[in-house]
Amino acid sequence: MDVVIEIVNFSAYYGDKQVVRDVSMKIFRNKITAIIGPSGCGKTTLLRSINRMNDHLPGFRVEGKIFFEGQDVYASNLDVTEYRKKVGMVFQKPTPFPMSVYDNVAFGPRIHGIRDKRLLDQIVENALRRAALWDEVKGELHKPATQLSGGQQQRLCIARALAVEPEVLLLDEPTSALDPISTQKIEMLLEELSEYYTIVIVTHNIAQAVRIADYIAFMYRGELIEYGPTRDIIERPKHKLTEEYLTGKIG
Amino acid sequence: MKRDLVLSQVFRIVSYVVFSIILLMFVLVILGGIRYFSMSFFMEYPRNNMREGGIFPAILGSFYLMVLTFIVAVPLGVFTGVFLSEWENFFTKWIDVSLTSLSGIPSIVYGLFGLAFFCVALGFGTSMLAAALTLSLMTLPVIASATKETLKAIPVELREAAYALGATKIEVIFKVLIPAAKRGIVTAVLVGGGRALGETAPVLLTGAVFYSTFLPRSVFSPVMTLPTHIYYIMMAYGEKAQWMARATAAFLLIVVAIIYSLAFYLRRREHGRSH
Repeated sequence: MDVVIEIVNFSAYYGDKQVVRDVSMKIFRNKITAIIGPSGCGKTTLLRSINRMNDHLPGFRVEGKIFFEGQDVYASNLDVTEYRKKVGMVFQKPTPFPMSVYDNVAFGPRIHGIRDKRLLDQIVENALRRAALWDEVKGELHKPATQLSGGQQQRLCIARALAVEPEVLLLDEPTSALDPISTQKIEMLLEELSEYYTIVIVTHNIAQAVRIADYIAFMYRGELIEYGPTRDIIERPKHKLTEEYLTGKIG
Repeated sequence: MKRDLVLSQVFRIVSYVVFSIILLMFVLVILGGIRYFSMSFFMEYPRNNMREGGIFPAILGSFYLMVLTFIVAVPLGVFTGVFLSEWENFFTKWIDVSLTSLSGIPSIVYGLFGLAFFCVALGFGTSMLAAALTLSLMTLPVIASATKETLKAIPVELREAAYALGATKIEVIFKVLIPAAKRGIVTAVLVGGGRALGETAPVLLTGAVFYSTFLPRSVFSPVMTLPTHIYYIMMAYGEKAQWMARATAAFLLIVVAIIYSLAFYLRRREHGRSH
């Protein structure tokens, strides 16, 4: 199977504190990979390390390697802004910019040099359609994005990430601030999107991981305890810790 | 419980007293001057030793001076604020402390500095430019601190979302942070402008002229302004011209009150939105 991201003996530190311990895993194209584990297990740090979002945090450093399509993500000659175009990210809290719905989605394409109005219109519409938001906002593209509901804002953030045509979409607990109906919409959306994109999602919601993920990675205290196809992890966990976490004994 | 009740009544009364004093000042100044308002008061030059005519050159002078001050102080203040907020290190902390102390310096000291530096050392003479630069120095800390505070209050997620889209730091600042901080910055600019408009001492020393029969022709001309006009009338003319000082004071107070209300309104809307 086609590997998009390969993580090799990867460790991450904040100062002296090691938060990710020697993790190795492969992330496969057009699959949904869920990283689960209790709070503080390092899952978010690992996710954010993939598109180098931790770089600016004081005292952050890494060991080991992350490859994106064979390219070393932490190589000193990597153009980070160019790389981040290929790896989109959606955060826990919806983060619409204080501008219109349209301008939010057009933000990425614009900073990457697209000026043509008709082309932008096309990109915005496509991205909103893919994020299953078009029908709800097509009449109010010039309304401030902050006026949308929480669930709509989160789908807008997904649309905004899709507008720069990434290959990978990283999501950090994207539904934890949303109501059940919005959550369901986003889950359905992610399943549709996995046809075109490679999706990595961090979630503390085991049921969600089971519902949507093709692969599950279970982390505990910075270590990757177990990683494999969802069914294997759920039905035949090899590790005692995985089983305990899935049955609610730890967490 | 009873003591709480008594105390809360005390606080209430004290705040009413303070409010009444401010209200009284407003009413006295405005009522004292507003009856002299007329078309000719706003549109004409002063005549006959300030006994007749109007304050047109002072209105225009104050307006020019404020615009010129904004041209200098807004970009400088905003950029300083951005720098302090986005490039935090030992050096910027040091600048920050200096800025805070700048706002504590009495305005007459600014005036003397402006006189010595802009008028004399740089050779600008008594001019609108020297006055505007001096006022810029005074408003700059206000704008810079407010810009910094507003930027600092923007959630880190918003920055990260922009970085995650492949934006560079400069793009994040100009396309996300400054637009997001726009209201806060405009509020600070208004507060700074209101302050600059009412400043007397620095303008008196650097750019004001006592009486002018023509409008400033360039930034090197001296200007009449509203506050210095009041000062000159009170110092140099007697009872006969007092009406003009009253009317000018009323007008200045009204303009400043409008500017501050606008700033207050914007600030409140800003807060309303973030909660």
